[in-house]
Amino acid sequence: MRYRTRHTTTYLYGEPVSLCHNEVRLTPRDASGQTLVEYNLDILPRPESVASRLDYFGNPTSFFCVDEPHTRLEISAESVVEISPRTVPAKGATPAWETARDAIREEIDAFQFVFDSVFVRTGDDFAAYAEPSFPAGRPVFDAALDLCTRIYRDFKYQPQSTQVDTPVEQALKARRGVCQDFAQVMIACVRSMGLAARYVSGYLRSGKDRVGAEASHAWVSVYCPGHDWVDFDPTNNRLAGLGEHVTLAWGRDFTDVSPMKGVMVGGGEHLVHVSVGVVPERNRTE
Amino acid sequence: MISEAAGFGLRLENYSPLTHHFDEMVGADGAPRSHWARVVNFLSSLNREGLAHRWDEGRRVIQQNGITYNVYGDPLSVDRPWPLDPIPLILDPAEWASIEAAIIQRATLLNAILKDLYGPQRLLYDRQLPAELVLAHPSYLRQCHGVMQPGGSFLHLYAADLARSPDGKWWVIADRAQAPSGTGYALENRMVSNRTMPDLLSRSNVRPLEEFFQTLMRTLLEIAPSHRENPRVVLLTPGPYNETYFEHALLARRLGISLVEGGDLVVRDRRVFLKTLGGLLPVDVILRRQDDSFCDPLELRADSLLGVPGLLQAIRDGHVAVANMLGSGVAETAALSAFLPGLCKHLLSEELKMPSVATWWCGQDVPKQYVLDHPGGLVIKPALRARREPPVFIDKLSDADRRQFLAKLKSRPQEYVAQEQVALGTTPVWNSHGLLPRHFVLRVHAVATRGTYAVLPGGLTRFSASKDSLVVSVQSGGGSKDAWVLSKGPVPPMPPPQPRSLVTDINRATFDLPSRVADNLFWMGRYAERVDFGIRLVRGGLVRVARESRTNQDLSAICDVLQGLGYLEDPEARLEVSILAKELDTLVTDPERRGGLLWTLNKMHRLGWLLRDRISADTWLVLSRLTQKFVEPLPGDPFRRSAAIDLLDRSILRLSAFSGYVMEAMTRGAGWAFLDIGRRLERAVQVLEMLRFGLALGVEDNEADRLEALLEVSDSIITYRSRYMSSMQPELVVDLLLLDEANPRSVAFQLARLQEHIERLPGAADLRTRPEYKTGLEAMSKVRLVELDHLMGLDRRGRRTRLQVLLRSVANNLQQLSEQLNRAYLIHALPIRQATQG
Repeated sequence: MRYRTRHTTTYLYGEPVSLCHNEVRLTPRDASGQTLVEYNLDILPRPESVASRLDYFGNPTSFFCVDEPHTRLEISAESVVEISPRTVPAKGATPAWETARDAIREEIDAFQFVFDSVFVRTGDDFAAYAEPSFPAGRPVFDAALDLCTRIYRDFKYQPQSTQVDTPVEQALKARRGVCQDFAQVMIACVRSMGLAARYVSGYLRSGKDRVGAEASHAWVSVYCPGHDWVDFDPTNNRLAGLGEHVTLAWGRDFTDVSPMKGVMVGGGEHLVHVSVGVVPERNRTE
Repeated sequence: MISEAAGFGLRLENYSPLTHHFDEMVGADGAPRSHWARVVNFLSSLNREGLAHRWDEGRRVIQQNGITYNVYGDPLSVDRPWPLDPIPLILDPAEWASIEAAIIQRATLLNAILKDLYGPQRLLYDRQLPAELVLAHPSYLRQCHGVMQPGGSFLHLYAADLARSPDGKWWVIADRAQAPSGTGYALENRMVSNRTMPDLLSRSNVRPLEEFFQTLMRTLLEIAPSHRENPRVVLLTPGPYNETYFEHALLARRLGISLVEGGDLVVRDRRVFLKTLGGLLPVDVILRRQDDSFCDPLELRADSLLGVPGLLQAIRDGHVAVANMLGSGVAETAALSAFLPGLCKHLLSEELKMPSVATWWCGQDVPKQYVLDHPGGLVIKPALRARREPPVFIDKLSDADRRQFLAKLKSRPQEYVAQEQVALGTTPVWNSHGLLPRHFVLRVHAVATRGTYAVLPGGLTRFSASKDSLVVSVQSGGGSKDAWVLSKGPVPPMPPPQPRSLVTDINRATFDLPSRVADNLFWMGRYAERVDFGIRLVRGGLVRVARESRTNQDLSAICDVLQGLGYLEDPEARLEVSILAKELDTLVTDPERRGGLLWTLNKMHRLGWLLRDRISADTWLVLSRLTQKFVEPLPGDPFRRSAAIDLLDRSILRLSAFSGYVMEAMTRGAGWAFLDIGRRLERAVQVLEMLRFGLALGVEDNEADRLEALLEVSDSIITYRSRYMSSMQPELVVDLLLLDEANPRSVAFQLARLQEHIERLPGAADLRTRPEYKTGLEAMSKVRLVELDHLMGLDRRGRRTRLQVLLRSVANNLQQLSEQLNRAYLIHALPIRQATQG
């Protein structure tokens, strides 16, 4: 399946911004089942240069600085990606979650996703919530899928109910939030069981039965030894490797993969407008 | 005879070291160690008064040089003098050689570890180091992975805290790898020794400290990426609230580099610049005294407004070098100590020369079991946190607390590291009772130089507040000592200082001045003048209230001005002298009263504090004494009013001393210009407002007392009398205070000085294209073109409307001028903000 994605962020400022520095992660990354065909980043006013690199987790990252006074900044990323569904482990095919937990210690690249991170702290409350999904000996994939479904059922999707920096503990207590909270609650639960989970940012193909397609989306990847990473979307109660999700970046939590970061001088009051579109390429009307 | 004997308090037999601790001066046999002989002889040759006398000089030097330290978050009240003990710590050459070798090895080792962790991570993949110790540690900055600076060094500066155990061995108890403090204090300690015991110091073959700083400067120049002829090096400080800000200012001065805060730097096109009045100047090297996670709010801690957005990208692109490299803080991790002996063999193929204090990281089963089995005598610290937190002494906990704590440790063992409590050695400290043993820790510093490290021969010695305390910190009541490293033979004279610092000094006089500093100086000038005028005004009121001359015109003139300038809150104050008296008292004593004298003084003091590296030590001394006296409580009635008048009298003297120092001691560069612009502007505004509210609003039959009061407040009464004797006429007063360019208190004088400054500021060559030049000229012309008779003429209702219109219009010009100067020169000082994430 081929998708064209367009992600536009517009900042409007009450007073001129004399200087701003930005770091964006808007390029679909290298991932299994995903190939980037075309990519274009447009910034207005045009910065002198854009520096691109791969970050620690291998996510394409761009840095730029706008140093002419402006009251409007528009950052627009357009990509074409080819996505093929990944094979999903069969139920019962993955090792028991305890075995998986002990095996991770030996795989450093996965192991680092077991620890607490800036936004996601593990704890007894998360372990207590997770435990019903993790009876002794249950295969790790099955357990994670069950957890994903429970979070989907127990939590209410409520736009604007949280901020980007709402602590994950609060989301657990309130049982509501946006996709970021769903993802981070699930990550905290998985890590509290001693397993590795990472935060994935990206887009979701829009559709009636899907939540989170109009903005940037987020979901969870859980490490299943022998089967690599498997993606779960707790906001929509589905697996995320089936050809409907476009992966931008992954990391330990939102702070590692934030699509857009900026620091500016001046600006006064400001408004942000974000629009995201994910369209199957053959439906292009242009 | 008894009193005579008591006088010899420094005789050795009166010194009793503690049992079970190694004492530096006295051996187990009770005899002084041989390398202390000279000091012991010297001390016994003095009587107590002799040392006391010398030490008075020491304290005077400390006071005079403003050697201070701060406690976080409280810059005003705790500008504490540095607690230095006169008796140095003596280290013999052979012992020092082994310390030196151990420190060089350890710095080399930690640098190699950092190089691996921020590069191939072989140590983790090969299981030389538990992965979670690094990957779960918040000080491991993934953003810095793969970034390599010129020379490939991560650790340009390193320091180790050393303790001496009872068997005489040295142990490393902590590593400092971010931005180690102490070298500046070590330097100041030596300077004080030099002033108090020059005889002993010169006889003792003590190794000098200077070379270390020359090496540091050379290293900084060598890591400059661009290889420009004269790379610009700056010292980045988190600011005056930092506990060791004094040292930052001192080091910057010593190295001849600019002291900057994050807000003084800006990244444009992935290069770092210093914002100055003359524009942006490229920066090549940053010596940082700020923790790495605070250095770039874009990529590192987003909540830090201390940093420089884009700095990390500039480093990544090789446009600027930072010492120490961002990310080096992870080498301070206490749990790392447990693995250093193995890592030393693995990386350097050497045995670790100096052991770390015994360390058990609880993330591994065997050490964890040891800690649970033997918790007594251990200090437990967090293993995976960036900020230093108070350690837990298991011995000191109640049984219940101990059980609870150990349960916590068992549930998340990887988050804890245990270290043995070292029985710290002692060294003699002098006080009025003679010599007393105190526990101490020696901080030894190393600087990278051409593939290896050079060690500062000496260091920062800190000792505990009492013999029972093992906490050695200046902040918790302990003190500091000079450390003398003896040389085997006579010390060769130092090579002359590098000519480089001279070049930098010459630059100082130009417009190479950070905009933020110029802004602070501008406001410093304004507040100084505002306080000066306010004091005269309030004093004028207090004196007259004391005379109880409420019906007199002179008090009503003062009240008109007080009210016009917004000093009075209660409208009744004009009618009821007891209310007025209370208001005046509040203006003098209440720090919360907005716009009051103490309120403004505090603002001025704070600015002075911020500017300590720009104004002379004496200027600062005068300023802090001025505020200090204001803060001291006044006596109650009946002496309160006269005490207040006395305080104001003295404050005026102190303020003129302040102005005198500024005039006499400050280089006539951009800094001085902005301070003076602030003063001139404020003085002009004050006089304009005084005339407007005190004279222009109405006309009375006999204005003599009123005019005299105004002349007194504006400090021009002597000039007036010398010219016109005692005949008080409004035309003559206005001429003197508004138009007379020869009177340094007049508006015309201020405008002329302002215009001179404006013409010299950097900017467009054609002065007429500069808005601030035009505004200044307009104001000056208005005043110069005044026809006095016409101006003072009355309107149909018998008021001085023309005077009032002119005063207001000139005041408006000045307001506009202030804004224009801001826009042209100081606007860079705007703070940065985080954009909402989309």
